[in-house]
Amino acid sequence: MNRYALPGVVMLLAGCSGVQSPLNPAGDQALSVRGLLELMTWICGGMYLLVILLLGASLWRARMRPIPEAAPQVEPVDTGLSRGLVAWAALIFAGLTVLIAASFLVDRRLASARDREALVVRVTGHQWWWRLRYRDPATGAWIETANELHLPAGRTARIELGSADVIHSFWVPNVAGKMDVIPGRINRIDVTPRRTGWFRGQCAEFCGTQHAHMAFDVKVDRPADFDDWLASEKRPAAIPADATARRGMAIVTEGPCAACHVVRGTDAKGRAGPDLTHLGSRRSIAAGTLRLSRGALQGWIAQPQAIKPGTLMPAIALEPADADAAARYLEALR
Amino acid sequence: MTGRPVLALLVLGVLAACNAEKRVTGPTQPQTAPNGAADPRIAIRQSSFEQISQGGRYFAWYGCGRCHAQGAPGIRDLGDQHRRSVRGFDQVYRTIAGHPGISPSYANRIPTDQLWQLTAYVQSLKSLDPGRRRRQDLDQKGEARGETWSGPVR
Repeated sequence: MNRYALPGVVMLLAGCSGVQSPLNPAGDQALSVRGLLELMTWICGGMYLLVILLLGASLWRARMRPIPEAAPQVEPVDTGLSRGLVAWAALIFAGLTVLIAASFLVDRRLASARDREALVVRVTGHQWWWRLRYRDPATGAWIETANELHLPAGRTARIELGSADVIHSFWVPNVAGKMDVIPGRINRIDVTPRRTGWFRGQCAEFCGTQHAHMAFDVKVDRPADFDDWLASEKRPAAIPADATARRGMAIVTEGPCAACHVVRGTDAKGRAGPDLTHLGSRRSIAAGTLRLSRGALQGWIAQPQAIKPGTLMPAIALEPADADAAARYLEALR
Repeated sequence: MTGRPVLALLVLGVLAACNAEKRVTGPTQPQTAPNGAADPRIAIRQSSFEQISQGGRYFAWYGCGRCHAQGAPGIRDLGDQHRRSVRGFDQVYRTIAGHPGISPSYANRIPTDQLWQLTAYVQSLKSLDPGRRRRQDLDQKGEARGETWSGPVR
């Protein structure tokens, strides 16, 4: 028992400060949700304690009372008990009323973010990754990326959610609540992050075999850093100087990768898979499944079904030298 | 009292139907094109709903529907049930892989495994009820379509 107690407690406490935890809010909406959670915990915890105390008291009283020797008789009405029950009902009513009112008020606050539509981000759920698109502030055109959501701190972003296939759910607990992603309609969620840092988002509605590997990184930047990032995302991919990487470029942009992936500025124009134009600047690949590295890229290209069984990424058989060249190119896409 | 055997038969029948939904996940084995009409892999692919519907998905992704949509004119209508020529699986596979007018060819662009699934889907179109195909197309409305697709959120 003791052997498991300490790691258990450590894990529970770690959950409070994690990159994917509603207990570690980094945005206005997450803060409201946590406030509601705390209120609910206090009220429900208090009521639970009261129930346990009364139960204990009644057991105690029953044990202390002498067992009657004669046949049981009808007891007289206990007026104290009747009053107590009325008070109990009133307490439940009051507690629920407070919770309903608080929940209503928090819901209203979530729906009426200030600075409305300051930044529109379109998010599309796919089996099993996320397509993200930002509006170019200069031209109004869309800039596409995948699986890494960047948000400026202190500014409200309106996230428009659509699905390409089945129902998903957008969940970044540190920044905002949760919103379902429904095919055929657009749901909206406003988020106002306050604290910079890396967080983690995750699909929160079972969507198929690899639902658990449908995560994304979230980076809350200072506004100036965010603008720089968006400007660099807008640029087409650079042609690498290194000869091996250039050979990799030919493999990626003229071979089967190009059937599904875009590398802007090259012949790779497929639309079904994630945009790879700045893949090298991201932290992870395959929707949060692997940390980005040359080895991970090679493994993912050669045997995606072993890493993420059921994924729609097909295995691409390449000679080892070619696989290395392709991975070098992808890593250089910054 | 005759209810029970009938029920048992019904349950067996329903369970047998699950086989067509079976899918294999795990490391991919190397794939080659079908080697003739009697290739045993053809039957496996054709009897799996999962393989056929995956093929339908790629049909949309690679923009095949632009020319080969339901009710397309002439020979472009792959589901035309009145067509005389009945072609084998391996022939359809080769036609897709070396589709005229596409450069680089689909054989170089689309992995072999997906070509098998695409072929299974195309083969299934002839026996597919038009209403069901409309329904399938509707289910895939949000999926990527060719190179000009701009996302399901407009």
